[in-house]
Amino acid sequence: MKAEIHSSRWSLTSAIFNVLDPIPFGLFVAGLIFDVIYAKTGNVLWIKGAAWLVTIGLLFAIIPQLINLALVWLSKSRVRSRGQVLNFWLNVVAIVAAIVNAFVHSRDAYATMPSGVVLSIVTVLAMAIGRIVLVGDNVIYKEVNHG
Amino acid sequence: MDKRNQKWRYAVGMAAGVSLLLSACGEKAKVDPALQIGANPTLPAAQDFLVPPMQVPNGVGWQGNATPKVAAGLKIEKIASGLMHPRQILVLPNQDVLVVEANGPGEEAVTTPKQVIAGMVKGKSGKSGKGGNRVTLLRKKADGSGEWEQHVYIDKLHSPFGIQLVGDTLYVANTGNIMKYRYTAGETKMSDPGVELGDLPSTVNHHWTKALLASPDGKKLYVGSGSNSNITENGMDVEYRRAAVLEVDTASGASRVFASGIRNPTGLQWEPQSGKLWAIANERDEIGADLVPDYLTSVQEKGFYGWPYSYYGQHVDHRVMPQRPDLVAKAIKPDYALGSHVAALGLLFYSGADLPQYKGGAFVSEHGSWDRSPLSGYQIVYVPFTNGMPSGAAQPVVTGFYSADEKHLYGAPVGLAQDAQGGLLFADDVGNVIWRVSSIKP
Repeated sequence: MKAEIHSSRWSLTSAIFNVLDPIPFGLFVAGLIFDVIYAKTGNVLWIKGAAWLVTIGLLFAIIPQLINLALVWLSKSRVRSRGQVLNFWLNVVAIVAAIVNAFVHSRDAYATMPSGVVLSIVTVLAMAIGRIVLVGDNVIYKEVNHG
Repeated sequence: MDKRNQKWRYAVGMAAGVSLLLSACGEKAKVDPALQIGANPTLPAAQDFLVPPMQVPNGVGWQGNATPKVAAGLKIEKIASGLMHPRQILVLPNQDVLVVEANGPGEEAVTTPKQVIAGMVKGKSGKSGKGGNRVTLLRKKADGSGEWEQHVYIDKLHSPFGIQLVGDTLYVANTGNIMKYRYTAGETKMSDPGVELGDLPSTVNHHWTKALLASPDGKKLYVGSGSNSNITENGMDVEYRRAAVLEVDTASGASRVFASGIRNPTGLQWEPQSGKLWAIANERDEIGADLVPDYLTSVQEKGFYGWPYSYYGQHVDHRVMPQRPDLVAKAIKPDYALGSHVAALGLLFYSGADLPQYKGGAFVSEHGSWDRSPLSGYQIVYVPFTNGMPSGAAQPVVTGFYSADEKHLYGAPVGLAQDAQGGLLFADDVGNVIWRVSSIKP
């Protein structure tokens, strides 16, 4: 048995998705790191930084999340895998948590804590699990006949 | 768990999230405003919001001959209009009137996404109108028409607010310094270029107004220096000599912190009976429509009044990190609450003859709320005093600054002054008008 990467059809939508989709994840991870540092130090530099990261992460999430929605639910040609569906809903959880978190981060000083760091953890975990679940979809293992 | 059930659960989760957001926006004041006036205001528990209570009427100015409403037995007239955000008034010995026209310097860096939104909300109210950065002199025309001339007296100032005359020395407090000018009576333009007496805290300028009061002997100036944040969100290092009343030596310009922990002391006056220093102050926002009441208080030398660590004595503010229980223990409770979010911006102890019913007490002008629904403030109230202390409920004297549906804002009162006849003058920085209130003579 040998693994082989199955290449799917190239499309502009998928290209845009692949470029934009990791950006919010990276920003939310950075936001979580900043939140933890603020929670520990009380230095406002970090919480102001985190507020921008969450907000900008949400702005960058709009296009890839709409593409995700369309690919999972509106595309007729594709068969939905369990992983895709789970990933979709995990992203919904992440985005809802991040929206609430953007408002939490608009509070002053330590009023952002601890809910800010909790919501950042929820966002990052949901997105991370979604990515882990998708691994099985991106790489398709095929039986190769040694003949 | 089947897929359908899972979807349903997420849908409920999302609906809950969205409704949480909406409910946070609809927060209304619950405490009777009358219970938040006086020595022992009702203080509900502090809340944190996703969106703080917010209601801002649209600034439209006064239409035609519309005026604010005054209490029975009083009349009101416009003595100047078309000004550029008038904030403070000083009546000179020859009865010329100086009007300080200014707004914030607009130098506060945008360091959070929230500031972008807050700027838009404030802009709507007309409270962020462009300031003149000047002092205008008003002089009553000699022809008996009752009209007033307007002259640009000092210009090119930098967000001025406080103004005091001591003998022949005129002091003007810009946001970053105190300027000293030689005053010559009768001039319609200040001939002296002025010198800087001393510097004032001017980083960030979240709160930019510098209220000014001279001691009776003219040797000291007292300066209200507001905090550089709502509640330390810009860090404590920018709060140096802020949220304090500073004392400046007029001979040398040297200054020290006279009293601290007063979030934004916007008006300073001597209480006539006791001779003590009194201040009005604007308290912190965003922990409730009914928190924290702004106040009127005597100011003790070296006194600490709580900000940022606590309010009204030992009510700890959990938003401050690190906390300082040692300072909370020392915090003095202010003497008299004026109501939540009223935004007191003018203080005057009245000593004239024209309005005998108000003699000995204090007028306080309330610029009006943004962090409260329904609106609060937007009026001038009178606080009676007996033996140097407030002795009763605040009574509205001038009202009618917004429409009945709370949608339109015509004006907002700021600086107060008394003229030689005992008339009450006040600046209106949304209507850009100076008004005069006096008694109706039978």
